[in-house]
Amino acid sequence: MFFGSFGSENNKSFKTTRALRSLAERTCSARLDFAQLFRSSLSHASHMLQLDKVTTKYGAISALRDVSLTVQPGEVVGLIGPNGAGKTTLLNSVAGLLQPSGGTVTLNGDDVTGSEPENLLRQGLALVPEHRRIFIDLTVEENLKIGGATVSGHDRNRLLADMRQQFPVLQSKWTTRAGYLSGGEAQQLAIARALMAKPKLLMMDEPSLGLAPILVDMVFELIGSLKDNGVTLLVVEQNATRMLAASDRAYVMRSGQIVSEGSGEELLERTDLFESFVGGGTS
Amino acid sequence: MTPNNLFPNKQRDIGFSALGALGLFALLVGGGLAYQAIVGTGSAERLITTMLIDAIIVVGIQIYVGNTGVLSFGHVGFGAIAGYAFALFAITPEEKLKRIPDAPWGLVDVSLNPWLALLLATVICLVVAVIVGVGLARSGAESGAVAATVITLALLFVTHEVARNWPDVTGGDRAGLSFAIGGSLDGRIAIYIALLAALLVARWYAQSRSGRLAVAAREDNLAARAMGVNPLVQQMAALLISVAVVSVGAGLKVYEEGSILPDNFFFNYTLLTLVMLIVGGRNGVTGAVVGVIVMTAGRELTRRLGQDGYELFGIGLDDAPLDWIFRENLQTVFLGLSMLGFMIWRPSGLLDDWELDEWLHRRLNLPKTADEQPDSLTELEDVPQANLRVSDVDVRFGGFQALSGAGLEANSGEIVGLIGPNGAGKTTLVNVITGLVEPSAGSFEVNGHDATALAPFELARGGLVRTFQNLRLFGALTVRENVEVAAMIAQQHRTDRVLRDTDALIAEAGLWPLRDRRARELDYGNSRRLELARAAALSPAFLLLDEPTSGMSDEESLAMVEQVRHMAATVGAGVLVIDHDLAFITGISDRIYVLDQGRIIADGSPTDVQANPAVQAAYLGSTADA
Amino acid sequence: MIELAQNLIDGLGRGSIYALLALGVAVIFGVMHLLNFAHGEMITVSGYAAFWALNAGWSWTLIVPLILVVSVVTSLLIERLAFSRVRGASDFTLLLTSFGVHFLVSAVLLLYVSASVKNYPRPGWVADTWAVGSLRVEVFDTVVIVVTIITLLATTALLQRTMFGLALRAAAADFDTARLMGVRSNSVIRGAFALSGLLAGIAGVFWLMRAGSTNPTAGIDPMLKGVLAALIGGLGSLRGAVLGGFALGLAEVLLRSWLPNGLASLTEGVVFALIALLFIFRPGGLISVGHAERV
Repeated sequence: MFFGSFGSENNKSFKTTRALRSLAERTCSARLDFAQLFRSSLSHASHMLQLDKVTTKYGAISALRDVSLTVQPGEVVGLIGPNGAGKTTLLNSVAGLLQPSGGTVTLNGDDVTGSEPENLLRQGLALVPEHRRIFIDLTVEENLKIGGATVSGHDRNRLLADMRQQFPVLQSKWTTRAGYLSGGEAQQLAIARALMAKPKLLMMDEPSLGLAPILVDMVFELIGSLKDNGVTLLVVEQNATRMLAASDRAYVMRSGQIVSEGSGEELLERTDLFESFVGGGTS
Repeated sequence: MTPNNLFPNKQRDIGFSALGALGLFALLVGGGLAYQAIVGTGSAERLITTMLIDAIIVVGIQIYVGNTGVLSFGHVGFGAIAGYAFALFAITPEEKLKRIPDAPWGLVDVSLNPWLALLLATVICLVVAVIVGVGLARSGAESGAVAATVITLALLFVTHEVARNWPDVTGGDRAGLSFAIGGSLDGRIAIYIALLAALLVARWYAQSRSGRLAVAAREDNLAARAMGVNPLVQQMAALLISVAVVSVGAGLKVYEEGSILPDNFFFNYTLLTLVMLIVGGRNGVTGAVVGVIVMTAGRELTRRLGQDGYELFGIGLDDAPLDWIFRENLQTVFLGLSMLGFMIWRPSGLLDDWELDEWLHRRLNLPKTADEQPDSLTELEDVPQANLRVSDVDVRFGGFQALSGAGLEANSGEIVGLIGPNGAGKTTLVNVITGLVEPSAGSFEVNGHDATALAPFELARGGLVRTFQNLRLFGALTVRENVEVAAMIAQQHRTDRVLRDTDALIAEAGLWPLRDRRARELDYGNSRRLELARAAALSPAFLLLDEPTSGMSDEESLAMVEQVRHMAATVGAGVLVIDHDLAFITGISDRIYVLDQGRIIADGSPTDVQANPAVQAAYLGSTADA
Repeated sequence: MIELAQNLIDGLGRGSIYALLALGVAVIFGVMHLLNFAHGEMITVSGYAAFWALNAGWSWTLIVPLILVVSVVTSLLIERLAFSRVRGASDFTLLLTSFGVHFLVSAVLLLYVSASVKNYPRPGWVADTWAVGSLRVEVFDTVVIVVTIITLLATTALLQRTMFGLALRAAAADFDTARLMGVRSNSVIRGAFALSGLLAGIAGVFWLMRAGSTNPTAGIDPMLKGVLAALIGGLGSLRGAVLGGFALGLAEVLLRSWLPNGLASLTEGVVFALIALLFIFRPGGLISVGHAERV
């Protein structure tokens, strides 16, 4: 028939059985090797990303208030904090999905405040959005191709071959519609899709959200191995302990502001973390 | 507090809306008569007659489109039905013998007094409107719904096709029906009466219970349903009233034009009436009237410019440089440009929902019945017993299990907390209890009655009232009007409860100085407080609060705790509060349930729960080997 | 039996044109959520171009590409001048904007081009038929069906195999995420209008060949067919739009032959009433588009 799929046609039959799913997921090797692709793209500017007093509003509501942070090349930076603290708003403001009303965002020394997401990607910044937002009516391969929309055809084919190798789970579902993937597979696809753009800085929003514990392990292994490959990472994560363990540095957000900052180890040892994270001031 | 004391401000609204309607009537008729007197030609008189009739029809359309937000292309189709019905009843048998000798059902011999014909035509149109209205309701009409607009477009198209292809009755595409009638509608008198009635009805409807509920649903359909409003009923009411007004206008249009052809009530007239409506502002009657005046003037000016070019201004240039622009029918370009220009640069029109009577009321600064801050409310001593029990609820979205076997119980007078990390299924659980998500298994009961299959508005009327994580207020309505929407429902459906005065609730929420502000102008904290006051006005058995402090600073959260507790106590509601903020929840709750990955993993007193290692793990994340 | 077969072929011929029109409507709805009431204007404008060219002595061989070019350019111009300014506006605004464009284009043609109906010679072979057994098949219908099938296959290939097609499908599913992948919103929307204009142009070639005349409001009819067929198929679903086009063509032909004599001229009214019923019972169209409430 005409047209594989288009638009938001409903997808009703997700019938992968649990057994099949976990089998597929265990075959994932999270040890990636993209050395050639990413090492070369390391930046020479001192800050990869710098936010200076960024404020973002929804109507009259300030969801971010004077937020400043930096990410150095090669670092894994964690961003943790309670629901509603503004973490997703921060990532979306950097990625161009939201327009900051004040402050500046600098990427590799260029002021990119208020840039369009499609331009930011071309400057090396990719976002794996909250809830993954893979294209469920497109096949795995097509999702990856879209991810590589900005690279040359030659590079895209090479990257596709790489992804096939590095994500065996995806390889086995190469021509399946992405709507049929399980949560863990979908998360791998979302990350692989973002890698297709050869980003210098990869931002991830809640990569472990809604995943079973074994898959959460997989996500953190993946984060580690991306770091080994020289990808700079800024990760929003609700699984604070795991995130801090995986971070070089981390920021804690609350009510639209950054309330603490430090190396992952420092923050892990802070006894007041639980308090500052899950609330406070009211008891 | 007796229920009829709920709205201290209701009286003035009705009186003033009549005054507003009179003012608009004076504007249209006075302006029209003045123009006629100055120009003094027969064509000026016809222009004004046309304007007044257009005003009736546009005001009629405004009643539906303005109050419900559903774009209708079909009202001119209703006009066609009314127009033909009127013509068929009113035209003399001799004329009908000439034009439509083969008309069925003895139509040829019918000859009614035009007033009676107008009435009958309106009734027929209303019957069709009921059928169309049921269709619109079934399609799930809501503000801006494309499906609903398509149905109205179908009505326009079908009436046009029938009119063209049923010459036995309609006189067909070319000849149509022309007028020779038995009685008279006494010149302008009928138009004046109909216009005044249309304006009164439109303003009255906007102020009526149904009108306000329809506008609430226009602003936020989901929030309206969650407040116990059934938008479909209000939309039907708006449709019927609107169609009645349009029918009368259409009958008068046919009468004044002296004939009817299928194309008189098709795309061109639809465009004209819609342009008039949106140029002035579709959300207000004043806007509709101003749109009619502005577009009539603009259309006449461009028509004359097209005819006479520069000579219109007494400049007789040969080879005038812009002569090529001034062509016959220039007004059609003007209409198209107006439509586009307003949609692009000012979609809410010149006046938006500004109303003459409301402005008058503010200007005259009349002694307001309720302009003193009400006394604070005392907490109820006698809390009515109520019980909410959720058992073994499963919810699946596609392959994702959002809830598995979740259950909880809450009683009146109690504050129950529900916490869990992001994605745990908290909002899904509230969505189940408020009818927005159907569980794939399990059930919930209110006071022992199964409520699983009820619609959101029925659950709200039954006493389960929620707030929304991402704030859903009726943005164009004032603070007061937001709360009054809930109070109107309470007055009808929560009569067994103690109902609180709306102004007192507003004051209690700390919003008294902001009572006449539009909800969309409020800042975050105040918006949250308004949502709480609005929910409390329904006097719920249970208040379900979805993240009432998300995005608030610590001080604001602290104040919110007290406000939630007090507000619930004044209306005797039990509270189920969702939050991720453990400190907030422990500060407010008597008991706490902890949800993680769709399951209740712990419940008990705040101290028990806080000390529970499983809870800490769920919150801070398990360690690798956990 | 012969009559039924005859009707089926006629219906497929009509349906082919409708399918091309509907596909264009669906492409635009997919990326912009805009129900394009101005979709017929490409045909109106190309009709005048064809009339002018025929008078200037061009042959149909040259006029066919002319129509395609004019149609694409008109589509892009309309996007540039009107629709690009209301991107992301409410459905109410989008609907009225396209309604306004439709009227403005007809009004401008009426005033500044010609108020009268312009007749032009149709290509000679339009009226030819050939016999297949006892069936009489119009050459025209045959050409229409063949060209449509080729066009649909080419469009499928475009959407499946090219980066542009992929970007279009991704943007239709989730515009923001597509932009995060580097898909430029301007290119994808303009590309969609170009594709939609091209499809309308191909349909327009046949439409104009058969009509033999044009006038300022000639676009209403093809626009309505395209919009209706897209609605039948469930707006935004390309496959649905194509099916909707064929369904509409067949329904028209079959209703015309089945309805009693007096009512046959009401065919279009009946079709529209059926569509209203369809929308009442299935607001998403035949191929229902999922609609979840977000809280």
